[in-house]
Amino acid sequence: MKSINPVILGVGRTKFGEHYERDPESLIEEAGLQALDSAGITRKDLNACYLSDYFLQVTNKIGLEEGFFSELLELHVPMEKTRSFSSALLNACHAVQSGKYEFVLVGGMEKMTDRWDKIRDDLMLLEDPWSYYAGCTPEANHELLLKGYIKKYKINGEQLEQLYTALAQISVKNHKNAIENPLAQYKSAITVDAVLKARSSVCKSLGLFDFAPISDGASALVLASPSVVKNCSCTPVSVLGSSSATDYITFPARKERTGFMASSLAMKTALKQAEVDLTDIQIAEFYDQSTLLEMLSLEDLGFCVRGTAWLDVYNSCENYRGFYEINGKRLYVNLNGGLKADGNPLGATGGAQIFEVVKQLRGEAENRQVKVEGEAPNLGCVSELEGFGTKAYIHILGRAKD
Amino acid sequence: MSSEPIERRVSYIGDRLRGSQCGICGKEYFRGKNYCGTCGRKSFGKMKNIDFFYEQGSLEVSTLVSQPTNRFVKMGYYFYGIVSFHEGNSRVPGRLTDILIDNEKSDISCFDGKNVVPRFRRRYAVGESDIIPTISLAFTLADGYYPYQKYEVYKPKKEYETPGIVGYGVYTSKFRIKEGNMERSVPFIDEDAVTASVEAGKLALIHSGVDRTLVGKVYVGSESNPYSVNPIASKVAQVLKLGKEEKTDGIQSVDAIDTEFACKAATSMFKDAASLVFYPKINTSFAMTIGADNSQAAPRNELGGELDRFVGFGGSSFIFGLHDVIAEIEGWYSCTSDTPDFWRRDMQAYPRHGGRFTGEPAYFKHVIKSCKALMEQLDIKVVDVDYFVPHQPNLSFPIKVAKQLGFKEDQYLPSLKVGKFGNAYSGSSPIGLAAVLDNANPDERILLVSYGSGAGSDAYSFLTTSQILEKKSRQKFTVQHQIENENLTYVDYHTYRRLKHGL
Repeated sequence: MKSINPVILGVGRTKFGEHYERDPESLIEEAGLQALDSAGITRKDLNACYLSDYFLQVTNKIGLEEGFFSELLELHVPMEKTRSFSSALLNACHAVQSGKYEFVLVGGMEKMTDRWDKIRDDLMLLEDPWSYYAGCTPEANHELLLKGYIKKYKINGEQLEQLYTALAQISVKNHKNAIENPLAQYKSAITVDAVLKARSSVCKSLGLFDFAPISDGASALVLASPSVVKNCSCTPVSVLGSSSATDYITFPARKERTGFMASSLAMKTALKQAEVDLTDIQIAEFYDQSTLLEMLSLEDLGFCVRGTAWLDVYNSCENYRGFYEINGKRLYVNLNGGLKADGNPLGATGGAQIFEVVKQLRGEAENRQVKVEGEAPNLGCVSELEGFGTKAYIHILGRAKD
Repeated sequence: MSSEPIERRVSYIGDRLRGSQCGICGKEYFRGKNYCGTCGRKSFGKMKNIDFFYEQGSLEVSTLVSQPTNRFVKMGYYFYGIVSFHEGNSRVPGRLTDILIDNEKSDISCFDGKNVVPRFRRRYAVGESDIIPTISLAFTLADGYYPYQKYEVYKPKKEYETPGIVGYGVYTSKFRIKEGNMERSVPFIDEDAVTASVEAGKLALIHSGVDRTLVGKVYVGSESNPYSVNPIASKVAQVLKLGKEEKTDGIQSVDAIDTEFACKAATSMFKDAASLVFYPKINTSFAMTIGADNSQAAPRNELGGELDRFVGFGGSSFIFGLHDVIAEIEGWYSCTSDTPDFWRRDMQAYPRHGGRFTGEPAYFKHVIKSCKALMEQLDIKVVDVDYFVPHQPNLSFPIKVAKQLGFKEDQYLPSLKVGKFGNAYSGSSPIGLAAVLDNANPDERILLVSYGSGAGSDAYSFLTTSQILEKKSRQKFTVQHQIENENLTYVDYHTYRRLKHGL
């Protein structure tokens, strides 16, 4: 049985970055109002809210976010809180698909800079405690993953140089994309040399410019049942596929240690649900916690053959034209600048990814608008992770057909 | 703040690296599991308890951590990676320890593929009043300073009429400080008297080949227990799984006690251990004594700072029993007087001492008294003694006392190791005894005379047996191995103080 496709009516987000002067409540308020405005509905139309944040309990001593939301919205509807934005959206989709709600507000927020000196320790809550006990850091597993990958596919010599360059090019590309994104955390161009230098200065395979930053921010969207969309004036975007998968939290204990099994599984489910072919996807927002994860997403999600994504990236970026060229097909990735340059306020990150795809599909992305055969793209996908590949969420979005 | 129930659970598993294995398909898991993920329901009741404590693993991939999380900052740079056991049947996260890293010279792939041995260490830094977290997810290279050694249980061949030493082990760290004619052992930053005690005990089990479940009592003598209240001995008993383990509640059927009497806290218990195994109708086949210290000393410019030139780090363990004895106890003599020559008040970090008062009226008076009294008691003369092992607080005292007693160089030099390890306090004279046993032949007489400030002295006479030779091959980590090792790392004074202070 084909389920109904919930529709995204409106999206909103704050600028990502360091919001020292603002509370998380004020950030989500800004994003939420934007989403409601762009959806053309009011708060009173909402039947439920799904919120996401990872660490507000720790960073801001807020342990019952829904209550704060109730005060902000003056609403007493059902509200639930999840970890990632994609998780909130997935749950909202299920509720709309079940026919329970017509209008749902999905919002995500994070205020990481409120605990600047301890946030890296907090991030270890997303790993298994034994890795933490053994001295793991938020970055260490990325290094192990990369080294395992290089070992497995026996990449060496010139090829290895190309792989390292490809990873640097990902960062350069994302920074370049962010220049046209007024809400991005970093709107500055960087060079491959700068990325490589940041690595060599710490004797690492991945350096400062390979990792997403610590950010504050909020994002929101209004999800609606397709049955009520006809009354709205905006260009609706449908959620064609919405899925997730879960893997062991203990990275060393996983079978697959050169990619994320959860991502592959979630993508397969989402494609099946959306009834689209992988090659039809024109734009994608990947979870580039590190440049490595953007590269591996190309493999995990099936765009590239395992062990070869670095070469596709390298070849595409030598004379970068704004997209990756894979098997003759164009794939635009992380048009907002990705987590690397747009910012990574954990609970809000997925919302920014959805925001970008919705804007692109609607043709409202201004200077960074992508055109496929002269028109705005009509199919995009968003991949978000929780933890180090422990949970993977895929959303496939398409312009709703009239 | 650490939470006590969590510490109990984490250290119970992590100190010993406990796991389980499916009795059907053989799949292994780190941490206990009641069923196998592959075999499912039918594997209930068929899971075997295993542990990786004595195993050798392989470091599959590793990375340099130069920006650790907050609790690890004091460790400096370190390598973190994935360690696989049994050809990849199980994998655990791990930190390489015992490496002082200079960031600029580090090769990020130099350790990958190397064999590693789990080491029992402190886990990370916590508040001064918190439970001290420990773990064995710390590893060192199997071809490095600390060699990989299997623990094998040997069936006893012979029962003796007199109890004695059945096995022993000495543990000193890989780091040294060299000043003048003295080298001293320096703990790595994650070591302390507790970790040294466990290491020494582990080495003694390996050497003796004794079934750990038959060890009925463990004594740990130390004056640098990081706790004022909470025994080292309970940690040793749990980690080494001494005595029979009650699987249902994780309790060991063993008596464990800490003792303290400055530097003689361990030697004092030799006679107790020997007597205990001799007691009829009590099933204490073996008793383990441990003497270990991260010898404390104030910095040089502070009161009591003179000690800072002599203190070492290390532990020793001797297992006593009646089976397969390598050195029988011929006799002992102990003496005590209220002589406060060296002390450390409660809540104080460093000990104080009485300067010249620690010499003639303290060390020499007690050592000479107990040595002479024992020789008289046994009716032996200096020429009847093959090796003389005195307490070694510095280089001059033991030589001077040996000469005063009439011993010759070939009698006292083999045991004189303070110039290589420094004064390991409770471990001091026992390390000397171990050094002698490492090279002794059957039917030799060893005279051990310890000294503990406060003050007292224990004199023992040991007679080696023929079995001393057959056990030699079981211990690679001999005293000599720890002295002459290409992997020793020498540190400067600043690093020595930092490492000694610990996490």
